[in-house]
Amino acid sequence: MESSVALSLQDIITGLRVFTPELMLGGGVVLLLIIGLFTNDIHKISAVALLVLMAVAYAQYLRDIPLTSEISHELFSKMIVVSNFSSYMGFLLDLGGILTVLMSWPYFLHADKLKEGLEQRRRFVSEYYLLIVVIVLGGHLLISSVNLLMVFLSLELISLPSYALAGFLFNKKSSEGSFKYFLFGAVASAVMLYGFSLFYGQFGTLDFRRDDLFATVPWSPLLVVSVVFSMAGFLYKIAAVPMHPWAPDVYEAAPTPIVAFFSVVPKLAGLAILVRFVIVSPYDNGNPAVMHALALISILTITVGNFSALVQKNPKRMMAYSSIAQSGFLLVGLVALSASGLQFMIFYSTIYLLMNFLVFYYLQYFELRGFTTIASYQNAGSKYLWPSIFLLVGFISLTGLPPTGGFTAKLFIFSALWESYSNHAHRGDQILLWLFIFGLLNTVVSLFYYLRIPYFAFIKNWESTPKTNILTSSPVAYDSFIGRSSIGNLLGLILVIVLLLIFFAPGLLMGWINKINFVL
Amino acid sequence: MQNLDHMLYLGAFLFAVGIAVIVVKRNAIMVLLGLELLLNASNVNLVVFNRIHAGRIDGQMFSLFVIIVAVCEAAVGLAIVLRVYQYYKTSVPDEVSELKD
Repeated sequence: MESSVALSLQDIITGLRVFTPELMLGGGVVLLLIIGLFTNDIHKISAVALLVLMAVAYAQYLRDIPLTSEISHELFSKMIVVSNFSSYMGFLLDLGGILTVLMSWPYFLHADKLKEGLEQRRRFVSEYYLLIVVIVLGGHLLISSVNLLMVFLSLELISLPSYALAGFLFNKKSSEGSFKYFLFGAVASAVMLYGFSLFYGQFGTLDFRRDDLFATVPWSPLLVVSVVFSMAGFLYKIAAVPMHPWAPDVYEAAPTPIVAFFSVVPKLAGLAILVRFVIVSPYDNGNPAVMHALALISILTITVGNFSALVQKNPKRMMAYSSIAQSGFLLVGLVALSASGLQFMIFYSTIYLLMNFLVFYYLQYFELRGFTTIASYQNAGSKYLWPSIFLLVGFISLTGLPPTGGFTAKLFIFSALWESYSNHAHRGDQILLWLFIFGLLNTVVSLFYYLRIPYFAFIKNWESTPKTNILTSSPVAYDSFIGRSSIGNLLGLILVIVLLLIFFAPGLLMGWINKINFVL
Repeated sequence: MQNLDHMLYLGAFLFAVGIAVIVVKRNAIMVLLGLELLLNASNVNLVVFNRIHAGRIDGQMFSLFVIIVAVCEAAVGLAIVLRVYQYYKTSVPDEVSELKD
């Protein structure tokens, strides 16, 4: 008995060595909590949060060094597996966190347009960053967990701070957003938990990695129920279609940096766990039901997201539907379910992170200057030339047009799908073909709403500005702060350059991704 | 084995009642109660299945964690409901609808 305790302790201690980034995230949470006791200074706290996340990203990079090795570490009695897949995704999450902090910084400083609740926001600035770090920690745990208990706990670790952050504007709308987010999210996770319990009942294990898992148990209604219920929780996290209605309300109500954060970090974490979960399911046993279901979900997600985005007037709401559509495109790589499909999905995730943050960064830039509806962007192009151009690049990339990384990502992911369709053709998987057709047609549809803001900004010049009161509410006041200063645009410029660079040299990124092995 | 079947029916019954409460009842507090029923339905399932798959105590551990998470969720949920009540003077989700397409 004593020796088994000693063994467990030894297991934990060895595990902690590989676990540095997550430990640092935990330490960062405590650090932010303590600093919040002493100061409310926005600069200091933002800098600390930024440093914590950068240190974590660096630790993640250091852990990433044996990338070529096939090793994956099983930690903490097989609760968590750190492979280079989870390392790469974790790095993306850290990057998302860093960009969010960089976005939040001006948001706290120059939020004069959003006066309501400003005092409270500034009082709770350390809690704000703390919750962001907690979500990043939850994402880290989620993408490396292989045990249903761990999946549930880390999903909750992402969800609970999210509900609080969604309400961080401290105004009426914001409280409603977090309210709806909470109701949807809590029910989705409870349903998912019920699916987990049925899953456990049938397989007798909470570890969902075993290859023969689905071979041992025949398909039964109970199995279908447990898989569907479990999937519901994951689909909710990535805002895929049957579980999407929370997204527009939350996106409209939450602070813009948080919206950018929600649209990337929980989504990528949910996608990673979906990959882990699906990759063990019975693809190779000749039962394509899961693939058909996912393909159908993907088609619906892309279509519903794009068509709903067409009629939106609020840029953040439009981006909510856009992010729904984008998760449909991300799912395409999973539906293809080949090694290349998954690699291209990771490629797409990376590009998605960059372009989404670029767009949100400039949506916030304009929001802080009083541009809150799409129609109010008229003449923005002449007034703020470079920001509008950067925003245009972001939108073009989201649409998937050259010369941006978004085009490369879409090209890759659909070529993987086509390849998969050619292989599976003998099994009559027409749904893959439909997914292909719908995906391409929807890219055309998305052009119409993505280019509406640039259309207003550059082309539609109204001589008088009758309805909008941009001028009366004097956006010029802030120009002294960040408007003309190049620092505000530096981040955007870097993102633009990276997006363009990836179009011309996708090999730079693919070189890293190619090394990821999918022995999850 | 027969007894365990009954317990699983209990779990399914709790789940169904929880969903019904969430759908039918209009007050957010009642929705929270329904949520507790859903979580406890899973708890019953986990403990019962642990009886079947004896040897390890995965299921029982899981249900302990679920109880803790349920408390956290209720705390966050009630705080949010309170905030909504401050602004809207109601906690009925249907009447809290400023955000629309």
